[in-house]
Amino acid sequence: MRVQVIAADFIVSIKTWLRSKGTLFWTLAFPIMLILIFGAIFSGMGDVEYTLHVQDLDDSEMSRGFIEGLNSTGAIKIEIVEPEQNVSSYIDEKNIKRLIVIPKGYEETINKSFIDQNAIVNLSFYLDPSEQSSNQVVMSIVSSVIQSFNMKLSNGRNIVGIDEISTITEDFRFIDFFLPGMIGFTIMQTCVYGSIERNTKFRKDGILRKLLTTPITRTEWILSKMLFMLFLSFISTFLIILVGVLIYGVTVNINALMITTIIATSFLFSGMGMLIGRFVKEEETADTAGGAITFPMMFLAGTFFQLEMMPPFLQTFARVLPLYYVNESLRNAMIYMNQSEAILNTIAVLAFACVFFIAGVLLTKWKED
Amino acid sequence: MVEKKFKCPDCGKVASYSGMHGELKTIYCPYCGSKGRARLPELKHGDDLAIEVSDLRKEYGDLVAVNNISFSVKKGEIFAFLGPNGAGKTTTVEMIESIRQPTAGTIKLIGKNIKTHFNEVKKDIGVLPQEFLSFERLTVKETLVYFSKLYKKRADIDEIIEAMDLKSCEKMLYRNLSGGLKQRVGVAIALVNDPDIVFLDEPTTGLDPKARRDVWKVIANLRKKGKTVFLTTHYMEEAEYLADHIAIIHKGKIIAEGTLDELINRYGKGSLLRIKQCKTEGAVESLKEKGFTATYESNGDIAVKIDYKDIVLDVLSNLRHECIEYESIDVRRSNLEEIFLHLTGSKLSEEET
Ligand SMILES: Nc1ncnc2c1ncn2[C@@H]1O[C@H](COP(=O)(O)OP(=O)(O)OP(=O)(O)O)[C@@H](O)[C@H]1O
Ligand SMILES: [Mg+2]
Repeated sequence: MRVQVIAADFIVSIKTWLRSKGTLFWTLAFPIMLILIFGAIFSGMGDVEYTLHVQDLDDSEMSRGFIEGLNSTGAIKIEIVEPEQNVSSYIDEKNIKRLIVIPKGYEETINKSFIDQNAIVNLSFYLDPSEQSSNQVVMSIVSSVIQSFNMKLSNGRNIVGIDEISTITEDFRFIDFFLPGMIGFTIMQTCVYGSIERNTKFRKDGILRKLLTTPITRTEWILSKMLFMLFLSFISTFLIILVGVLIYGVTVNINALMITTIIATSFLFSGMGMLIGRFVKEEETADTAGGAITFPMMFLAGTFFQLEMMPPFLQTFARVLPLYYVNESLRNAMIYMNQSEAILNTIAVLAFACVFFIAGVLLTKWKED
Repeated sequence: MVEKKFKCPDCGKVASYSGMHGELKTIYCPYCGSKGRARLPELKHGDDLAIEVSDLRKEYGDLVAVNNISFSVKKGEIFAFLGPNGAGKTTTVEMIESIRQPTAGTIKLIGKNIKTHFNEVKKDIGVLPQEFLSFERLTVKETLVYFSKLYKKRADIDEIIEAMDLKSCEKMLYRNLSGGLKQRVGVAIALVNDPDIVFLDEPTTGLDPKARRDVWKVIANLRKKGKTVFLTTHYMEEAEYLADHIAIIHKGKIIAEGTLDELINRYGKGSLLRIKQCKTEGAVESLKEKGFTATYESNGDIAVKIDYKDIVLDVLSNLRHECIEYESIDVRRSNLEEIFLHLTGSKLSEEET
């Protein structure tokens, strides 16, 4: 193995890449665009349907009337929380965005207010501060209901009020979920298509045949190309993280597990590309085949949305997709900080990488028949 | 040149004769004058041969793409492997380049069997595959530098650029070059390791005549540098113009082989003098009387066989003497196209007519 040869080939890859506006766009601009667009769409909208959890500790005619009032607006979906639940742990566990507690003695206080001008009752409103825009919508609905209540009861004197309580849960936003998925997806695209190009276009153009007659060995060539794939993978990862951190304030943890996953992912999908290029010899057909494999995988492996949102049989199917483990591994390592999950998934990615890369290297050949 | 002693079978005396390796000669005994034919010894294997191929065969299922061919290429010559589409040229040359696996047969490059020693000869060969396209987004010079870095032995890149007449485009991206320039760059790439043997698989196919001639110049240049060139082509003028030695391949078999002169003498009609638009009755008969081999051609022209060059003058003076009237004459030698037609009953290439 000669380092100068690997270096020469690596430099050619970089030069070629820098000079191709198309590939430059797909490896750099496209992931950034996606993360900007999706990040904007999802953080701007929040939940499409605004759910409001209500815990009625009073369980009186008045409190039920208030809930009825909220319900009748039709703009929010009311979920009743059992009175015996501990609110803060419930919010943590169920990842609740908004919850109103009607305190005990609600009816009594209102009744008293007809005599005692100072009697007021406050509802506790727990809000997830990261859900700014949807909170505003729900809050305005709740306020208007309360106002009309107050109007009816006392000609506008504020008997019922709201106590806003901000909940700080270990809640993750869509962007936290999406960013690692974007990294996995980009590495997949880069490596699969890069590999397909080398195994179809370079074969068709006679470059592989030409190289066979020169002293470069297949090992040197593959090493140089993998070095280049890693280079691209790390550049894309870096850029995606940069956008996530600077624009969306994502907290990203960079650690050995994440880096291992990125390296293994590059090998995994380079191997997959080699296999596609091995069996589908036409360049265009191979690209289509690449798309037919990577695109559904992107959707099914939980790049854009949680697996839980899909029907159960698809969830089971997702568990045989390598990209699923890449996503899980990156999420747990970079965002959720869940060491044990991250390790398990990284091991799965490494195993997939070994299988695909070794199969790719063994099954592709430069020689003609 | 080699010299060989022989013992005259008639008078029993020993004399010697000389000529080229493998040349078939008519020899006369200097003592008794008796005549015979003998072949000078072939060169010892490996001495002077760049490529030796014996009983090479390649099957694709039922199709025999290359059918037990044998030939050798001498060092320093341009060897043209001439044949129509699908004759088996690429299959053969790529087996010699170790890109394809032969079904049977042995191949030696510079005396080394490539089955076992290909890695040793890689440094001594330069290859331009058929329809080769290099990296699109490298400049000509970068391309040459890249390929030269793969070798330990490197030629001077600037010298190659000069010799291949690429100076004016050395900074251009490969993808922006014309077809002819791309092929010249391809030849240049095959030279970056200063190889002894250069393989060029159809280097001019698809080029316009001007570009083709430019590539020819470049290839002719290689001979001057003492390189052995193995050239495959389906253009007969290319073989005629460039080659020292020609092998005609058809349906996987070599059907004729030799220098251009040898091929024409052996398989061609030799040279013909054509008398066009002859108005005089009985012209052919009168020429025949004088001992010329004259015939009417299908279009009414008269063709006279030229066995040696002075015959032309004899025919012309005869025409004048007999007051035979005609519009024009031309003298043409048999070409490879005719030989191919003669040997196979089909045209070498449709494009060439
Ligand atoms: N990989 C292959 N599989 C099956 N048949 C093949 C293969 N390669 C070549 N052939 C067949 O072998 C024969 C010789 O092909 P080859 O490419 O050597 O011809 P060629 O003389 O180089 O022709 P051309 O001028 O078109 O390049 C053809 O009939 C071709 O179809
Ligand atoms: Mg060919």
